Amino acid sequence: MTQHVSEKDVRAIAEYARIGLTDEELPAMTEDLNAIIESLKPITEYDLEGVEPTFHPVGDLSNVMREDVEGTSFTQEEALSNAPKQQDGSFLIPSILGGGEA
Amino acid sequence: MDFACMGVDAIQAGLRAGDFSATEVAQSSLDRIERIDGSVNAFLEVTPELALAKAAEVDKAIAEGTFDQMGPLAGVPVAFKDNMNQIGTHTTCASRMLENYVSPYTATCVQKVIDAGGLPLGKLNMDEFAFGSTTETSAFGTTKNPWGTDRVPGGSSGGSAAAVAAGLATVTLGSDTGGSIRQPASFCGVVGVKPTYGAVSRYGVVAFGSSLDQVGPFARNVRDAALTLNALCGRDPLDCTSQACDFDFTANLDQGVEGMKVGIVPAFLDAEGLDREVRNAVMGAADKLASLGAEIVEIELPNAQAAISAYYVLAPCEAFSNLSRFDSVRYGYCDPGHKDLGGQYEASRAQGFGVEARRRIMLGSYLLSSGVYDKYYYPAQQIRTLITQDYLNAYQKVDVILSPIAPSVAWKFGAVSDPTSMYLADMFTISINIAGNGGMNLPVGLGEDSGMPVGVQLIAPPFKDANMLRAAAALEREYQCVGVAPDFAGEAAVKGGE
Repeated sequence: MTQHVSEKDVRAIAEYARIGLTDEELPAMTEDLNAIIESLKPITEYDLEGVEPTFHPVGDLSNVMREDVEGTSFTQEEALSNAPKQQDGSFLIPSILGGGEA
Repeated sequence: MDFACMGVDAIQAGLRAGDFSATEVAQSSLDRIERIDGSVNAFLEVTPELALAKAAEVDKAIAEGTFDQMGPLAGVPVAFKDNMNQIGTHTTCASRMLENYVSPYTATCVQKVIDAGGLPLGKLNMDEFAFGSTTETSAFGTTKNPWGTDRVPGGSSGGSAAAVAAGLATVTLGSDTGGSIRQPASFCGVVGVKPTYGAVSRYGVVAFGSSLDQVGPFARNVRDAALTLNALCGRDPLDCTSQACDFDFTANLDQGVEGMKVGIVPAFLDAEGLDREVRNAVMGAADKLASLGAEIVEIELPNAQAAISAYYVLAPCEAFSNLSRFDSVRYGYCDPGHKDLGGQYEASRAQGFGVEARRRIMLGSYLLSSGVYDKYYYPAQQIRTLITQDYLNAYQKVDVILSPIAPSVAWKFGAVSDPTSMYLADMFTISINIAGNGGMNLPVGLGEDSGMPVGVQLIAPPFKDANMLRAAAALEREYQCVGVAPDFAGEAAVKGGE
């Protein structure tokens, strides 16, 4: 089977998608992805010269904008109601630059 | 009585006549879930307080003589797929990622069903984030098919289909990205409608593939589904893809099919891997439609095969984008103890998402990466144009299309699926999402080999969903109603006789 992605590629894909991947998981995930990508091969074989892409299934409709008036929205408390960690009315995250407290 | 085994009209007639109250309807439905759902696992959460509070409202309206103004689902037991936000309930998407998430707001579709008078019984099991076609990827255990609990209910809206089939709710909502309403409806022998893209607001429904997702109803007859569509459809300022719709979907259900042009696709019926009993069901339905005065027209959808690979490019790309919101900061699972944000992201997403979700996110990440995009994603969108054009060409000749939904009836858990069959499994449903058409399942009896429910798919041009409902209603009158699965209907009959 054609190797579309190497283990190194898959490691990079995981980092970009922000999904941790253990060394043990890496070979199986690489194999899975290669198999799936191989199954998509037909899409590279169609003659699509001059065919316009459709990015939206109902093509002849235009975007609809609402009036620019203030509506209701979440209170701060509601917005924070599912936050795993919060402090002083804000979402709490570990240090972005490293070296901070967890 | 087990009211959730009854249809909308029967429940409402009883309420009007004062034979029973909405509170009795709600309580009996809750009791039935308590008694039965252990063997089906359709519900992830049951909401007795919400159901009884709404029932009290309905009873007040009956007492005050305002029942008929309540809406098309007044007093009807309903339930929602667990990717739909409903304030105060858990909305887990059947994922560890959202196990503890409590909705701070309500999805428009859920609100509309409750505003129409529905009694909300709870939230229904599904494949994790709707990634699957058997409900086996749920992090909280699979749902079982009420027609044979050793069989899959289909998916991803497996809980929504099974709840209706087991008589645990009269109407449920599901969502359909590549067949996730129609296929489980077919497997569980109930009506399931995926309306035209844009017919129903998705606001508050956890997004999977935003250019493909659509919300729709499950019910035990066409009329109940049409009544629910009346409540659901229409423009919502909170979903810019939703469109105005003031059509009464029940209006032409009794009209019959005289003079209607019904398309059949010979290439679908000759497809390798299509089970004999499914093929026979479709051919039988075509014969019945012809005998009722419809004209059967052979049509071609030459690019239908390409829809499968286009879907498996588009859906993971959109899922990758949509699921990037689960960041362990604002909501969702957060792996404790990390000293840097990147580590927290990666650990939380690795542990919160199941393996299928991770695989699809990774695939989408790859397909959208620089240099790869032009090879897969862009051609997939070009193929979408071809498929849409195929359908438009077909609709020059026909009002509705009749096709299979799945190549077989529901299979047994653990049965090794033939890859060709699995590949084909999606072919009949996916191209409808790609083109944005409406499609629905109509149960047409039991397979002569398997004894399991068999369904046929009716497909309608965009925003002409009424066409397929009309044909379905005409067909429905020709077939013995499949109704509640026998193992569960038996109990309903016993209880009803008490």
